[in-house]
Formats: sequence, C-alpha cells, structure tokens
Amino acid sequence: MQAGLESALAELVLGPPVEPQELGALLSRHALEPAERAAIEAAPERFLVYRKLVRNTLRNAVALAIPRTMARLGPLFDQTFERFLAERGPRTHYLRDVTTELLDFAAPLWAADPRFPAWAHDLARHEALEIVVASLGEAVVPRELGPLDAERPLAFIEAVRIVRYAFAVHRLPASEDDRSEPVREPTALFAYRDAEHDVRYLELTPLAADFVERLLAGESMKTALLGACAAFGTEPAAALPGTAALLSDLSLRGALLGQAGAESLRAPAETSDHRGTLREKGHP
Amino acid sequence: MKEDRRALPNGVGLGLRWEFLEEVLDGPPLAVDFFEVSPENYMRRGGYYPAALERVRARYPIVTHGLTLSLGAHAPPDAEYLAELTTEVERLRTPWHSDHLAFTSAGARAFHELLPLPFTRDTARRVADRLEALAETLGRPVAVENVTYYALPGPTELSEGDFLGELFERTRAGLLFDVNNVYVNAQNHGFDAEDALASFPLERAVEVHVAGHTHTASGLILDTHGAPVAGPVLALLGQALERTGRVPVLLERDNDVPPLAELVAEVGTIRAVCEHAWQASSRAAATRPVEAHASRA
Repeated sequence: MQAGLESALAELVLGPPVEPQELGALLSRHALEPAERAAIEAAPERFLVYRKLVRNTLRNAVALAIPRTMARLGPLFDQTFERFLAERGPRTHYLRDVTTELLDFAAPLWAADPRFPAWAHDLARHEALEIVVASLGEAVVPRELGPLDAERPLAFIEAVRIVRYAFAVHRLPASEDDRSEPVREPTALFAYRDAEHDVRYLELTPLAADFVERLLAGESMKTALLGACAAFGTEPAAALPGTAALLSDLSLRGALLGQAGAESLRAPAETSDHRGTLREKGHP
Repeated sequence: MKEDRRALPNGVGLGLRWEFLEEVLDGPPLAVDFFEVSPENYMRRGGYYPAALERVRARYPIVTHGLTLSLGAHAPPDAEYLAELTTEVERLRTPWHSDHLAFTSAGARAFHELLPLPFTRDTARRVADRLEALAETLGRPVAVENVTYYALPGPTELSEGDFLGELFERTRAGLLFDVNNVYVNAQNHGFDAEDALASFPLERAVEVHVAGHTHTASGLILDTHGAPVAGPVLALLGQALERTGRVPVLLERDNDVPPLAELVAEVGTIRAVCEHAWQASSRAAATRPVEAHASRA
C-alpha cells in the first residue's frame, strides 16, 4: 500500500502544520497499513524532519529565482508559498522550474487579493524570466543579416521570449533592499540569451512586440507586418524603417538567425537594452 | 589528462558543483579522477551549463547520478522524464547511471528530497523490476544508492542489509554504496555501523560515496553534505573498500561548499584511505587461495 503511505507523507510534508493531536486525523485520511500508521505515530518528529528538508530545498530554489519579490512581499509571499505546497505542490522533475509553477499558481490569487501590490506578479515573472531564458535552447554566434524574403517566415534562436507587463518592473533597481514602486506602464520585452550565455532584454514598442510575436509564431515578415500595423492602426510604409532596424539589431545580437534571398524591410520600434545579472549557483 | 570521452571513472572523484565549475573548466588539471553530475540539472535545457559540461567531459571522465527518478514510488517512473534522461545519459555517454533507493514523489507531486522506503520484500521486488526496466530503457548499466533514513515507514520485514540482499538477487543492477549514509543511520537509530556494513552486499558495489554530515541540537545527525567527511566515516570507508576492491569513490559536497583547493585536498585525503584499503584488499585476495587450500587440508 505504498500509495497510501506516499499520500500521507505528502500531506505531512507539504500540508499545513500538524499539531500532535491532529496527527491521527491526518493519517485516517489515507489508506495506510496498520504498520505504516504505527510507524508514523511512533516517531512523528522523525517524519517531520522531511517536512523541513523538503521545504528548505523548495524555498531555496524559489529564493534563487525571485529574491526581490520575496523580500518585498515578506509574509504575504510566505502565505502564497504555503498555499502552493498544500494545494498543488511542485510537479516538475526540475528544481529550476518550481518557481514557474509557483507563479502560475499565484497569478489568480494575487490578482484577486488587494493586499498584494498590483505589480507583484510582473516583478516575480521578470525575475524568474532570467533562469527561464538562460535554460532555453542553444544560442548561436551573431552574424550579419542577409537578404530576406518577405513572403517567408524568419528563424529565431530557441532562447527567446516576448513578455508583457502592466508595470515597468524591469527598470527597478536590482537591490533586494529597494522598495521603490515601478511605474504603471504597458511594457513588452524581448528576452534572449546571447552568444556568451548572458540573458538580455530589449524593450519594444507595442507594435514592434506584436510584430516579433507574429514572427515567432511563424508568420511571414509581410503577414506579420501587415497584421501588426492593422492591430495598431499604423500605415505599413511608416513602420518599415523601424522594422528593418529592429531585425538588423536582433540579427547582430544573434537572436534572429535570418533567411537568405529576401528584400530588406524597415519598421518600427525603439529598443533599450537591459542585461540580466543572474547566473545560477548550486548543484549541477 | 588525455582526452577520452568514454573513460571509465576510477580512483577518487568529486561531485561537480556550479560554485567551482569555472575553475574546473579554465584551471590547470586537478588531482580529481572523475566528476559526477546530476543530469536533472542539465536536462531539457540549453545555455551555459550544458555547454560547460561538454568542456568538462573533454577533460575528465563523468558519471551521472540522478535525483528525481522516484525509483521506489507506487507509480512507475514518469515516461517523459525517462525519455529526457535517456537522451541525456546518451549525450554524456555515462558508463552507468545511478539514482536513490527512495521515493521522491507522491502521485504527481514532487518532493525534491529522498523519502525512505519500507524494507519489505514487496518493495524489493518492485524496485528490482524498475531497475531492470531502467537499464533496458537507458541502454546501459544502472546502480542504486542506499539512503539516509530519519524514520522508517514500516512495516520493516527485513534489515537494510537483508533488504538489499533481496533486491540484488532480483536485479543485475549495481550498488552505489554510500558510507556516510550507513554511519548516519547507525548513529540516528542506535545500531553498529560496522555490523551493518557486514550485512551489505558490497560485492555488488560499482561506486562508493562519501560525504560530511551535521549534528543538530536535538541529537539527530543530518546527511547535509555540508562538512568535510568525518573521521569515523573515513574509517568505515576503509573497511568497505577492503571488501569492494578497487571501485571508484566519490566525495559529495553540496552545502557550505569551500574553495575548490580545499575539496581537492580532501579528495587527496580520501585517496590515501582508498589506496591503503585497496592494497589490503589485494593482499587479502592474493592470500585467499592459500587460506582455502589450508582449510581444505
């Protein structure tokens, strides 16, 4: 009856704190063999060692990814962490992915709870993004962009993401002690990993972000540009210069692999460059 | 060190940690015979670390030691994880892959820690079947490590040694024998570590682990891998190696990781213990036929 033992220990380890007088009720909720139940009741403090070990491991992994969010939220974060463990628990084999699972769980909770700052989830996502992008597929050495075919899709490296925030959390100071508040400003970032394996961020205009998102989804340059311009009520001709500049920039950064045999385009987008700072530490 | 990507681990190795990865990559050759890595930290990812590991592999033999297979769980190992693990061990060309005699999940939930298994015949059969299937899936030998248990989730039909005996009767897998875990268990549960050692099927050992532990205020000893290997554990290591013969030995250090030079020095200390024990083992092996002949006479 290993399944009953596992579920009982999962509740003991991941669930709410258990007072000694509550242990019997907890064990009764699981299909335990008498000998299994007796073993736990005989030495609950020994089994609770695992509660501490599991929580330390998981919390340390999350703290590595989102230290500023944890510092800013304090006890509010602790409550979320407890609920995550008790109500869902980590599912991934990969410790580095626990933070993403936690933030997916937290999103609706934080949005519905006025005690959480409106920017909290944006900041957490932005912090976590660094490990996510650092772990994506291989980067390539930058090279100059060749002629492009507007009727065909472009190829990007795997290690790219477009992220959107309601707040400009990427401009907050890196210090965990900082408590300044981010500006409420719709933000789109192009995050990528460069050839040196550093994670970098480009701030995109809304139109540029939409254009790149369409390219990443596999649309041709022409379709992506027309679609983005239509979405923002912009004349394609006006967007061309910025588009060309953006694609050239992404190519030089090694994020856009390019495509032979096309005419050059031009289009929108002012970019600003932010570089990630985190390199994971710990156990390989 | 001559480049040999298929070189077998031998001698005394060190668990590769990110704290000193760049020193391993860029520094002079180290007096470390091989490195061990946890594949989960390199699987399903690109970027700096897999690239760095390729460079380490060009300089030193590497063996893989997994963390999240959940070998003893009620549910069979996750198929997607197994597929990713298969890809990774093939990429690294590890001569064998090991994981723990534990469960690390409950249904879909993952603990990311090693929880203990009941020492029963049913458990031994289940784990043995899993090890056989794992070796077939991975296409290479596998080994299983004895773990630290702070409590045993009964029923306890068998001693740990007998449990391992039952297990290894049913599988061709090897034993990754962790000396510190035996010592910590003996201290925490009040039995004699040497007696326990005598009951372990060390003839099946393919690798040995040593690590440091931490004493808590409650008296419990935790297997933290956060301190140098304790003297009694080194003594136990020597005794174990006299029985195993020359198998690779690995120093694990996961917490409070000191400068690499300190770890390399500790590897040297461990190597001295190993060499002494292996010589004793060789002498014992050389005298065995004589003893046998004498006893027959």
